[in-house]
Amino acid sequence: MEVLLAQVINGLSLGSIYVLLVTGFNLLLLVAMIIHFAYPQVVVFSMYIAWVVLRYTGNSIPLAVLAALASSVAINVATAPLFQQVMKNREEVDINATMVMSMGIGMIITDVLSHGFNKGLPIAFPKELVGDVALFRLGLVSLLSGQVVSLAVGVLAVSGVFLLLYKTRPGRAFRAIAEDPAGARLVGIPILSTGLQSYALSGLLGGLIAVLLALMLGYASPGLGEQVAHKVLAVSIIAGLGNLPGGLVVGLGLGILEALVQGYISGSWSNAIAFVVLLVVILVKPRGLFGVKL
Amino acid sequence: MPLPWYYFLAITAINVLMSWALYLPYRVAHLHFLTVANMAISGYLSGWLVQVVHVPFGPALLIGFLTGGLVGWLVSLFIADAPTFTVVIVGFTFIYITRTVIENTKAVGSTMGMFGLPLVASSPGAHRWTLLAILYAVVLVVGFLIHRFEHSRLGRAASAVFVDKDLATSFGVDIRQLGRLLQVFSSTVAGGCGVLYGFIYRSFHLDFFTFHLVGLFMTIIFVGGYATMWGTLVAAPVLYGLTLLFPPAVASWRIVIYAAILIAVLVFKPEGFITRRLAYTVERLLSSKRKI
Amino acid sequence: MNKKWFKLLAVLLVLAAFVFVGCQQAGTAKKVKVKVKEWEVPFLNCLTGPIASIGEFLQWGAERAAKEINEAGGISGIPVKVTGVDTALDPQKGVVEMGKIVQTALVALGPVPEPVIMAAAPIAVENEMMTMTATTSLEYAEKFFPWSISWFPKTEERLPPLVKAWAELNPDVKSVVQFVGNYGPWPGMVAAHKVGLESSGVKALNDVEVPQDAVTFGPLVVKALNQKPDGIIIACWPEKAAKLVQELKSRGWKDMKKVLLFSSADDAALYTTGGAALNGTIIYNFVNVDASNPRWDAFKVAYAADHNGMQPPSLSTNYYDAVYMIKAAMEATGVTGDPKKLKEERKKIAEYMANMKGFQGLLFNWDMSGGVPTNKPTYLFEIQDGRKSMVKEIRP
Repeated sequence: MEVLLAQVINGLSLGSIYVLLVTGFNLLLLVAMIIHFAYPQVVVFSMYIAWVVLRYTGNSIPLAVLAALASSVAINVATAPLFQQVMKNREEVDINATMVMSMGIGMIITDVLSHGFNKGLPIAFPKELVGDVALFRLGLVSLLSGQVVSLAVGVLAVSGVFLLLYKTRPGRAFRAIAEDPAGARLVGIPILSTGLQSYALSGLLGGLIAVLLALMLGYASPGLGEQVAHKVLAVSIIAGLGNLPGGLVVGLGLGILEALVQGYISGSWSNAIAFVVLLVVILVKPRGLFGVKL
Repeated sequence: MPLPWYYFLAITAINVLMSWALYLPYRVAHLHFLTVANMAISGYLSGWLVQVVHVPFGPALLIGFLTGGLVGWLVSLFIADAPTFTVVIVGFTFIYITRTVIENTKAVGSTMGMFGLPLVASSPGAHRWTLLAILYAVVLVVGFLIHRFEHSRLGRAASAVFVDKDLATSFGVDIRQLGRLLQVFSSTVAGGCGVLYGFIYRSFHLDFFTFHLVGLFMTIIFVGGYATMWGTLVAAPVLYGLTLLFPPAVASWRIVIYAAILIAVLVFKPEGFITRRLAYTVERLLSSKRKI
Repeated sequence: MNKKWFKLLAVLLVLAAFVFVGCQQAGTAKKVKVKVKEWEVPFLNCLTGPIASIGEFLQWGAERAAKEINEAGGISGIPVKVTGVDTALDPQKGVVEMGKIVQTALVALGPVPEPVIMAAAPIAVENEMMTMTATTSLEYAEKFFPWSISWFPKTEERLPPLVKAWAELNPDVKSVVQFVGNYGPWPGMVAAHKVGLESSGVKALNDVEVPQDAVTFGPLVVKALNQKPDGIIIACWPEKAAKLVQELKSRGWKDMKKVLLFSSADDAALYTTGGAALNGTIIYNFVNVDASNPRWDAFKVAYAADHNGMQPPSLSTNYYDAVYMIKAAMEATGVTGDPKKLKEERKKIAEYMANMKGFQGLLFNWDMSGGVPTNKPTYLFEIQDGRKSMVKEIRP
């Protein structure tokens, strides 16, 4: 029982990473109708920028946080025209072109991190930023500060984004532009500025996620984004594209499943088993467990 | 033949075949990444048959093709007419499963891989020529079949499905059958490619069959042109050859170069360099010259 | 009159022919003595990819040796250049690059690591070119003798005494769990560890596999600790090894001496990721950072200057020594770099290296016998504040 509880907590911790990333992924899907396969790589890039700022400012955490937010916003806004150009003639979500485009962006980010930062070595964040203080420990069961914060913020992020998109005017404007730019223009929504705001918003969320991952993991490596990108896409599809609450549930569920497989079966089988379960789900419910929300 | 030329020609042929294997299901908007798993499954199986069980290369290659087809057919029972996302997830799943099984199977070398595969001919030189001959024969056959497909009712049906699935269905296109046909053909080609791929290097390793291959073949298709088969023929040698010409310092950035080319093409030439119109124009020109 | 002119012309033509042939001979004679302007030694290395951090210091070591050699006058008076050829840890890339290298190179460094060796070394063998696999053990290199070189004895001979020595440092360790990264030769090293444990009367509990894309390590550590081990051995990627140590500590593991890290974890990624959490852990290694000699001291200083004060990792001297071996072989055999003599000169180099006696390595001298090193020591170190200090030397 102790082991099971410990693994479930580990799973929630891992799942909260997926939840954070899927939320940002879904946000981009909802406000810009793009499948940004490389969203995790953008987040990892922001982690690296934060690390660089920490090094050169004597571990100034506020500056590092600002840098992470700024870099994520900058990348999102800079790549927005590329996606928009590709999406020009689409009538529905064009998975092929935007996914391929984002794969290309992800490849560039990963390779730049491998070549240009810290000689391609993993980076470690200072202890002050890492949440490895044990809030609770009993035998094998332990709860670290970083885990609690990430999970809590993950839930808050999902709720916040949901409220923003579905209960506020700007959120409705974002969704209107994504779904029907011509119609949005007709009703007086300024396309360019609102569109840029939507990309900036997802960038802000990406920067926040970068800070939280630094807090939780304490490190990053060039391949970190790639390692989770497939799972983020899978979680989003299984939950239902654009389904924010669904992403929360499936993300946490995947984390728990992986932790249990690693704990009770074998680490090397965790990906295979996790994907088989996801596969069975999607074959049974092709539109996702909780339905597409586009 | 100098080794660099051998590898260039051999890998180009593999890239052409695998890109065609991805291109065909994409005609009905399926990103059939299962093909990478097919390469691994058939490759390792045939490698094991040749190295351990001493099956001759010819039958092992045939078994590789058939295994690919069988796996493709079994999977197509579930995803022949599935949405694009489902097909993508299936592909990823099989890549993960295949890699995990191979990692944990001592008989095929697990994480170290299989090395020192026997020559398929009497000498290293003859081995290379034989493989090249087989590769380019397969390229010709597959190319011919795809060309016939494109100019048939099935090809037109596939184009209709790509544009509007529901409309195509209402015109009587059997999406499931068509999807199954394309997926099985694609997996069969991929299976054979997996065997040949390993024998080019005379070794099999898990790092041969990674998600980077998916990225590479997608780049070839999209840069060359996803609407016709000819784009792959142009893009495969150019993209692969380009990186071989780079000096070492630049070659280490080849992934960035590939990705930048891919993005530039998607933005400025979304259909790729060889568009459908260009292909049809050339075909019409050639056929009108023949008439004269 | 015409006949006279014809005769004169004929004589002139014959003379011209002699002169022409003579010049050709002279030209040919000059070509026999042609030397290259620079010795280019390609190094098939993993400069990008999951173990790029290891590739970086291997390259650094090789280039340092080349720099020193050039400052001292080069090889036979000609400068040497080590060119890094990136295989990105991809065996197929290694094969293709080796295919290019064998067209012109006298000798190559690498490949690195074992899967790339196994795929690419046959090309070197086929073309009868020595490829210096200076990070591998005998069981991998011997398949390609005499065209490769073994840097270490067989894994199953080399590692058990190391693990036994560690177990002797911790006599109260009765059971051990091993974390193993499922990559290349590492499972084989873990199996060799078990032999060492068993010979010390220590029970090897169930291994815990570390997936290559592991992001969090709680599940793995809980699985390990649930078996109630007295000791831990970690054999996986350096940054993951560091995270495992951190996770162990955060779950109450106190005695860090009872945590043993394997040699492949010894690189910058371990220390930058692990930080103070690694203090007290033991690592086994093939390079004694506490030793002192002028060359080694200069190496350490230069390494620290280029790597933020870090000590040289375990394998950093391997290709440094390999480049010096090449120098010794080329000078002893008098190679000229003449493309026409490529095959012959390659053979000379390989034969010389396989049986080199008294090679003066950076840290110790050793003999090669049939391509196998003899009498090389290994060490156990304790890590404190990112630095290693020797605990024990183990001689075969």
